Amino acid sequence: MIVAVSPREQTRARYPDEEGFVERDGVRVFYEVYGDAPTTFLLFPTSPISHSRLWKAQIPYLSRYFRVVVFDPRGNGKSDRPEMAEAYSYWEVMKDGRAVLEATGAETALLGGLCDGGGYALMLAATDPAVALGVAAISPSLPRLTPGHPNYRRHPSTEPLDTDEGWAKWNVHYWRRDFRGFLEFFFSQQLPEPHSTKQIEDCVRWGLDGGVQSLVLADEEAPPPFASAEEARDLVARVRCPVLVVHGELDNCQTRERALAVADLTGGTFVALEGAGHMPTARHPVKVNGLLKEFADEVVPPAPKVKTWTRALSRKRRALFVSSPIGLGHARRDVAIAQELRKLHPDLEIDWLAQHPVTMVLEAEGERIHPASAELANESHHIESESAEHDLHAFQAIRRMDEILVANFMLFHDVVRDEQYDLWIGDEAWELDYFLHENPELKSAAYVWLTDFVGWLPMADGGEREAFLTADYNAEMIEHIARFPRIRDRAIFVGNREDVVSDSFGPGLPEIRDWTEQHYDFAGYVTGFEPVSDREKLRAELGYGPGEQVCVVTVGGSGVGGDLLRRVIAAFPAALQQVANLRMVVVAGPRIDPASLPAHDGLEVHAYVHDLYRHLAACDLAVVQGGLTTAMELTANGRPFLYFPLRHHFEQSFHVHHRLERYGAGRRMDFQTDGPAEIAAAIADEIGRETEYRPVETDGAALAAQLIADLL
Amino acid sequence: MALPLTTAPREQSRARYPDDEGYVERDGVRVFYEVYGTNERTVLLLPTWSIIHSRQWKGQIPYLARFFRVVTFDGRGNGRSDRPTTPSAYDEAEFAADALAVLDATATERAAIVGYSLGAQRGLILAAEHPERVEGALFIGASYPGGGKAFDERARFTWEDELETDEGWAKYNKHFWLRDYPGFVDFFFSRIFAEPHSTKEIEDCVGWALETTAETLVTAQHGRTLEPEEARALAGRLRCPLLVVHGTRDEIAHYTRGEALADHGGGRLFLVEGGGHAPHARDPVAFNCVLHDFLERLP
Repeated sequence: MIVAVSPREQTRARYPDEEGFVERDGVRVFYEVYGDAPTTFLLFPTSPISHSRLWKAQIPYLSRYFRVVVFDPRGNGKSDRPEMAEAYSYWEVMKDGRAVLEATGAETALLGGLCDGGGYALMLAATDPAVALGVAAISPSLPRLTPGHPNYRRHPSTEPLDTDEGWAKWNVHYWRRDFRGFLEFFFSQQLPEPHSTKQIEDCVRWGLDGGVQSLVLADEEAPPPFASAEEARDLVARVRCPVLVVHGELDNCQTRERALAVADLTGGTFVALEGAGHMPTARHPVKVNGLLKEFADEVVPPAPKVKTWTRALSRKRRALFVSSPIGLGHARRDVAIAQELRKLHPDLEIDWLAQHPVTMVLEAEGERIHPASAELANESHHIESESAEHDLHAFQAIRRMDEILVANFMLFHDVVRDEQYDLWIGDEAWELDYFLHENPELKSAAYVWLTDFVGWLPMADGGEREAFLTADYNAEMIEHIARFPRIRDRAIFVGNREDVVSDSFGPGLPEIRDWTEQHYDFAGYVTGFEPVSDREKLRAELGYGPGEQVCVVTVGGSGVGGDLLRRVIAAFPAALQQVANLRMVVVAGPRIDPASLPAHDGLEVHAYVHDLYRHLAACDLAVVQGGLTTAMELTANGRPFLYFPLRHHFEQSFHVHHRLERYGAGRRMDFQTDGPAEIAAAIADEIGRETEYRPVETDGAALAAQLIADLL
Repeated sequence: MALPLTTAPREQSRARYPDDEGYVERDGVRVFYEVYGTNERTVLLLPTWSIIHSRQWKGQIPYLARFFRVVTFDGRGNGRSDRPTTPSAYDEAEFAADALAVLDATATERAAIVGYSLGAQRGLILAAEHPERVEGALFIGASYPGGGKAFDERARFTWEDELETDEGWAKYNKHFWLRDYPGFVDFFFSRIFAEPHSTKEIEDCVGWALETTAETLVTAQHGRTLEPEEARALAGRLRCPLLVVHGTRDEIAHYTRGEALADHGGGRLFLVEGGGHAPHARDPVAFNCVLHDFLERLP
């Protein structure tokens, strides 16, 4: 397997509020602090095979309730890489943890750890009982406590071997030869659950951050913390605080026997995770977060507060709408569906869990935005950070949003645990759909899933690896639906059967259209507005004169479109020469500052325009990205338009393109090859042209609402 | 309320029968108790106003007994306990003393206590004065005099004097009780269960109420209950975890009484939106989950 390791850290869901270094015996150790809750939760690192990013799925959630402190182990991350093996002993890392607590002003703390981290936490709790409020040891490692995992005893680890197969890779000579090959093997073993590609990639990257020498020193040359099993047992038996032990039955690093020994010696609670490997923190983050919170609440009961449970028949009918913030398209159609739903259930209260820029549309429509929305980790910002010049690798961008998706699911989960909703609606709310299928016991209301495309598709230049990854994502989704058909009470495709691409989910997987027909209802397209009946009147209202040829340039709601706007603005002078009565109106959108765009005489630049669809309905030509919503608004109003799919954006390149072809709508352009001259020529060709598009239905929102209404 | 008041001639089948039962006797008054299960930790379900008896806990006992040892007793004045004829035998302090005697008789060193309505008063006395015996306290629909709103509707009528009307809360009157006890009982429990569709819960309570007499309740009414200042002082002395459960539609004890108790006792408040005075009877599943969660987390 070739694991592509991305060169830079992906967007975090939560950034530290404070960071710093502690220094012991000349070794500097880097720490981070999140939040300012009264109780500190120190999450220990593992061996230098990884660093503090290991806790990326826990930090955003736990820091809402605790002051979370993490640190990079000596030998990885931003901590020093001492050259002496002694510096890597368990006792040293444990003392680093204590020093970090002191430096951050924590007199007591809950202690958490994975693998060796569990060992460090137990050692600190045993030797410094006044500090430890409780220990959560996940897949704990404590050398000599019990015999090590048989995997580590299959081959000598320090002698040269004549094979590199399997666990023969646990060998310092192999490490020095092919460290990355070792990491890929090792973490495939530690994440044996199917569909763990992202977690494995993360771990490989963090392993490479540390380098081979740190691992050799820490794992093979550092002095063992205990001389004998008895010494290890004695130490663990000294732990007096509450202990939680979590162990995955497929753990290829630590044995169940060892985890049970920890629970037994400390009188702790043992939680077995069946079907889980060594790293449930990464692969089963929702479950682990729940266990950590529950444990922490038992150890340090939260401050008194009022809880309310409403009797079933006293409840108002309530729905929670989770609208994807990627692009503005979902917002308008979701509002239209919500409005239709209220016609069928006038007593229905709808709350929205949504973020900018969706919230702008919702506020303008007077919708109720749930206050927890303010705590959502920002997806739009992430997508922008993943984009380059008119280039957005949509599949990778969503993959690299995994931390944000966990954080936002946890927030959703807290909201629906504390308040009773009858129905959850997720419009391309990936976190909701994915984690409900991963944690089906958390479904406690009817659930409707909406999307306008089905199937992750690889871009040609992504090669075999991307084809493998998209197929793996599709396979997991198909397995989810097959195994838990009860999760999605309705799956609604925003469009028609023929709008689904004729393609395959991947090798050995079904055809996308066949499968989608079997698993979805089709609402038809939802434009979110009434088609314009009197265009001349509308033009007059918007101030567009009868003699003007109006060209609207827009990139929707995301901040990704600045490059296209600049390119089209550069075409303005040439276009003006060819179209004498041209009036070009550039709409920068809510996430691009109009002042950041070049100015020309006669060129109009606006920031956000609320009823953009009216301008699109009134124009003589539009220049847009390849996003579905804007293109379909133009199609519905029969306007000519030029569209530039974002490079590497599989949805725009395949799914939207397929749909527009079917409607016979729009002229596809290519940002790579079409410069200002080509754009000016295309504007001249297309502006004011009569169109013969396939008509777009106007009852999509009503139909979608009918499909949903039965669940209320 | 036009419920035909038919009281079943015999007790309906229980989901769980006691494993042990007996009497404690104090100053010649015998009090009947039951013990369910042999689990390590004990929960003591306290009696409330003697208008009903320990069967009020029927929605809780079978469930709780799977995890805890459950002890309950009939308050003096109803059930299988004696009906003393001196008012002072019904002082709140006497009920608290009965509870202590039951704990002793059942060899229960420590227990979590659960009290409903007036049970909160005796519970407060027990928990504040014998902190070493009480691990935690949960009070439902607490008749807590230490704070919260009174109902004007009720304050208009005195209990002691003859009134000109029998309408509404005018039925909460000694003379009416003695004249038409079933009429009072019918009225009273229909106000306790403010929730629609509560016929069975009302019938149950009416049946239990008819096991005692108006005369007994009149005597008990002269027993000494807590004064506001006294109640606040007791709440302030609580050292154990406290949870207060209260229905927002409680027409007997306004939910702000529960709020005040949680506040004064440093405890948590769990509100049942739309719930009446007896959520443990009317919403047993939700209540049992809250109760179990509370008991399980006690240190």
